[in-house]
Amino acid sequence: MKTFALILLSCVLFVSCSSSEQEVAETSYAKGVYLLLDTSGTYTQELTKAQQLINYMLAMLEPGDTFAVARIDSGSFSEKDIVAKVVLDGRPSIANKQKREFATTIADFVKNVKSSDYTDISGGLLQGIEYLNEAKVGNKTIMIYSDLKEELPKGYVRDFDITLDGFKVQALNVTKLRADNENPQVYLDRVEHWALKVTEGGGSWTVINDLDKPEAIAL
Amino acid sequence: MLSTLQTLSPGVLLVILLGLVVALYLARHAAHQAINSLFRLIYSGFRFGSIAARKSAQRLHARNREVLLELGREQIEKDLEKEFFEINKFVQRDLGGYPQLQKQIQENITRIQDDYSNSTEVPQATPEWVDAVDAVAKMKNSDKTPAISVKVLEQIHSSAKQQHTENLAAYRQESAKRHSILKAMTPFWRKLAYSVDEVGGKLKEIVTRSQNIDKHMLKYKEILAATDSAERSLKASAITQFLIAALVIVVAVGGAFFNFHLIALPMSEMVGSVSRVAGVKVADLAALVIICLEITAGIFLLESLRITKLFPLISSMDDKVRRTIMIASAAVLLTLACTESALAFMRDQIAADLANLRASLAGVETSSHEGSAINVWIPMAANMILGFVLPLALTMVAIPLEYLLQTGRTVFGSLLEIFVNAIAVILRIFATAFKHLGKVVISLYDLFIALPLWVESLWQKREKNSTQRDDEFYNSAYDSAKSK
Repeated sequence: MKTFALILLSCVLFVSCSSSEQEVAETSYAKGVYLLLDTSGTYTQELTKAQQLINYMLAMLEPGDTFAVARIDSGSFSEKDIVAKVVLDGRPSIANKQKREFATTIADFVKNVKSSDYTDISGGLLQGIEYLNEAKVGNKTIMIYSDLKEELPKGYVRDFDITLDGFKVQALNVTKLRADNENPQVYLDRVEHWALKVTEGGGSWTVINDLDKPEAIAL
Repeated sequence: MLSTLQTLSPGVLLVILLGLVVALYLARHAAHQAINSLFRLIYSGFRFGSIAARKSAQRLHARNREVLLELGREQIEKDLEKEFFEINKFVQRDLGGYPQLQKQIQENITRIQDDYSNSTEVPQATPEWVDAVDAVAKMKNSDKTPAISVKVLEQIHSSAKQQHTENLAAYRQESAKRHSILKAMTPFWRKLAYSVDEVGGKLKEIVTRSQNIDKHMLKYKEILAATDSAERSLKASAITQFLIAALVIVVAVGGAFFNFHLIALPMSEMVGSVSRVAGVKVADLAALVIICLEITAGIFLLESLRITKLFPLISSMDDKVRRTIMIASAAVLLTLACTESALAFMRDQIAADLANLRASLAGVETSSHEGSAINVWIPMAANMILGFVLPLALTMVAIPLEYLLQTGRTVFGSLLEIFVNAIAVILRIFATAFKHLGKVVISLYDLFIALPLWVESLWQKREKNSTQRDDEFYNSAYDSAKSK
């Protein structure tokens, strides 16, 4: 009888623990992707390629995953810069519908995008961190589709440390500028600066320039 | 330690070495005892372990043998019961109608006898004119008489001829009548022959079954006598059955795996694919539960049909209750099969939707006529058919499962026996090795202190010689004193 009571108690404890942890368990396996699109200057010409990348990622994401696309403009630390966001439903048919709507929104954005004067990458990164932390996903990835050249308007302060524990940051299609061609060290220093910033914040850093190999973008 | 020794000069090292040798020499007796005790302890430990393992293996063998013979006995009893049941069924079904058959045969024989007696030939009566011819022949010869005699004889001849013709006609008529009677006898003969053949055929079956019973009884006697040949035969049979059952179970697992993939995706449409329990998607768990339910329903169905006996309680239940369980299991199975078929259809729809989405995201246009193409509906139909058939096929897994469980005890028992025996042998080898290792270590110890031992032997030799010389001196002195 004593043993039976002990088993019963263990079962009750197990059930209560599993129900309280269920919410965490539901999201901890989900992936979260926050894609930052550079809309400054001539980089807007690269957005068609970015659209293909987004479509590829939409095809790869599974129900329960979170995906958001945001623009990098003069002041990117704002929810207004999020172009499209979605938490894919658990049912595949609904998730497919959401993906279609997402793709349409992105297509409209790419068609009508206007280039910005400045490039606030740090603000966008911070917004991405905030968004993914709120989403409570297990696998957090921030993708920066930019030439990584930050230009801030007057009065904007972005000189601070960022916390990127558990984040994967991928720089995509980091194009070389004219100045980079004249002095490649400028390009190398720029990439190194961002790599240092991310790794010091506790995140992992990767640069992927060859987008013809989609398998390189491992989530 | 080694580095410290390396820093020392060779002279110091030599002194240390000599000191060590002397110390070891002085402690030789105690060290020998210690080494002997240590290795004897290890030897005894391994030997004790080996003996214990061997005894365990013997007990295990006895237990395995007992279980194997018991299982064999049960199986033979079942076979005998089945044979007797078949014979009983045969007797009730076929030989139960034997009195009727016998009556038919007797009737046929009576008819044949009647017909035979009717068809017997009646002997013809002696012609009456023979006496007349005799009388005419005895008449006295005269002139007139020959003419009369001729006339009479002619008359008799014509009468006899006429009578012969009539008799011949009557005889033919009688013969035809007898032939028709005999002809009518043919079907009765055939019936009789068929009836006898039928009885013979049926009796052959009884003979065959009785021969089978004889074989089973012979085996049964051997098992009861617990002979080695019976044990060997049962073990070989158990291993073969185990391997075959394992093979079938592997095939069934393959089928279950395929079935799982058929319904896992559509289940996510029902329960969602986000929630997880212990890292496994709830949709996958739900699909697994459905497959397990199908297998369980199948087991209960076969149990209630008395094909398998995994749960003796079910087969010993009242027929009414057993039939209820059978109907319920069949209904659950059919429902699940239909559900799986529907899920397979749904899977096809979801996969098609996903393919369309990927194509549209990649910018590929999909034409409308593709949906009705043969390569679309054939996989869909195949999916649906498999979704319906696989659950029904999985029910059969209960039969090999029963064999696997029954023979698994014997096979694993035998393997365990081999394993324990191997442990006993290994422990025995270790025990012997340590016994000899003790001697080797003592020899090495003595080798290390060879110099003092050599000195000791020289000393002992010298002592012995001096003692011998003293003895000789005292003996000679004694002898000379005695002679004086």
